[in-house]
Amino acid sequence: MSVIKQLTDELSRLPGIGSKTALRLVHHLMKGSKEEAGQLSRAITKLIENIKICKECGNFSEDEFCEVCTNPARDRSVLCVVEEAYEVGAIERTGQYRGMFHVLGGRLSPLDGVGPEELNVAALLRRITESQGEIQEVIVATNASVEGEATAVFLEREIRSLGPCVTRLARGIPVGSDLEYVDGTTIAQALVGRREM
Amino acid sequence: MRLSGLVLRHFRNLGSQDLEFPPEGVALIGDNAQGKSNFLEAIYYLETFRSFRGARDEQLVGFGQEVFRVAGIASSSSPDHRRVAEVTAAFERKDGRKKVSVDGTEPERLGEALGRLAAVVFSPTDVDLVSGGPKERRRFLDMVLSLNEPGYLSALQEYKKILSRRNASLKEGYSGSVVMAWNQGLISSGSKVMWARKNWIEGGTQTFGDYYVRVSENARARMTYRPSVPSVGANSVDEIGEAIRGALADSSDRERRMGTTLVGPHRDEVRLHLERADDDLDLRDYGSGGQRRTAALALRLVEAWTIRKRRNETPLILLDDVFAELDQGRSERVLELMEEEEPGQVVLTAPKEADVKIKKDKLALWRISAGRITT
Repeated sequence: MSVIKQLTDELSRLPGIGSKTALRLVHHLMKGSKEEAGQLSRAITKLIENIKICKECGNFSEDEFCEVCTNPARDRSVLCVVEEAYEVGAIERTGQYRGMFHVLGGRLSPLDGVGPEELNVAALLRRITESQGEIQEVIVATNASVEGEATAVFLEREIRSLGPCVTRLARGIPVGSDLEYVDGTTIAQALVGRREM
Repeated sequence: MRLSGLVLRHFRNLGSQDLEFPPEGVALIGDNAQGKSNFLEAIYYLETFRSFRGARDEQLVGFGQEVFRVAGIASSSSPDHRRVAEVTAAFERKDGRKKVSVDGTEPERLGEALGRLAAVVFSPTDVDLVSGGPKERRRFLDMVLSLNEPGYLSALQEYKKILSRRNASLKEGYSGSVVMAWNQGLISSGSKVMWARKNWIEGGTQTFGDYYVRVSENARARMTYRPSVPSVGANSVDEIGEAIRGALADSSDRERRMGTTLVGPHRDEVRLHLERADDDLDLRDYGSGGQRRTAALALRLVEAWTIRKRRNETPLILLDDVFAELDQGRSERVLELMEEEEPGQVVLTAPKEADVKIKKDKLALWRISAGRITT
């Protein structure tokens, strides 16, 4: 196999990259300097060699524990549960959240054979119990899909008996969007979740 | 609704044809197996984007072809908005891709393009609605309500999605708490589906009975909702939700043993009965051939009534050789009824010109032979 095809195939396996985009990236790399390509390949190697899973929350980390878990300034009374580690970044970028995280590594999906044992649920419950009441609120930030909803319902039942209050992210009209273009289900949810001004 | 133009490209045996429709409608005359039903199937495809005969899309692609395409131009019959819509549907056999557009734009979801034609098909196979299993009647309800009840289709799709996951949890033997995690979603979507079905059936049974008695001239019939969840007296979506919640709790042991969800709208039934002084007669079990066909016709007429009432449109009526199997008295009375109720456009098929009995001298006579239509 030619080196061009080999790299194209590898790149097109990445999410959001089709064979045409992959080929374009390959051509771009060929035109660039050896130094640039070396930097990229070293960065990838370094990533794979150094990235670990945080032993506390399941987030990506370069050390045994991640930056959030080791940061003494974070609010340890609030815990936000997400499906995937990259969603931690989405919430962190808002700059509005100062609490802790817990990554499930997926959602309940019986059709794919994913139950609570396949998810990071036991660790979550242990974390809550071991905090001895320090964790007062658990925000369930699973996705608004049918699986994400069922996962939220499941977690709510498991967590509430341990003490913390369980909350769910609000749903509604995206900021900056025209009502006209929002789908009916979302508008219906927003109507149900409306609040007094 | 009126269909003014139809473009056919390799739909079944219909080849490549561009047709213009007169406002009153068309009678398509042809021998058996020439493509008469295919023609109605193509038109109705623009209403639901699937075959009313239950065929898969691959089967609709003409022999030796890769793609079929159907396009129709429809104008509204309601006086307030005379908008014209061009609905196009195409299917490619190779990658199983379906493309639908309304006025040149692809809708984000297929559901948004449904029901643009406001058409109703009457077909000899409609008798299955009465004599077939409960699934046939549920499919009929789902179709009528998806086209006429806002929010129904999305609730139904969500219900089906959750149901399959809940059933997988039961089948794979997950713990009770995992199974129960699906209950909330099942209840909220399922109660919407059941509420809409209940309202439609209870609101339509009188009309169904009226149509039935007009055609049969001797007995009244009615339809009743028989949900798998006891919900007598439930008077809101929330009350139905509570009924489902209770029924799920009651059947949880049985569900574990059977490995599947036992209550909910997927187990609903619609009963069609003949009213009698002493005891009602179930048409599915005890109806004669003629009684079942009459009930099936009455159901389609209620469907057309729903379109007039809910969408404020006069439906386009498609008749697939329906009178062949009714006795003369009944078919004359159906025709009378249709003439009274449906001043809209009619497209019908018949083997002989003498069989065209509705809107007699008003329909344009077209002929079909080996899929080729001559106007």
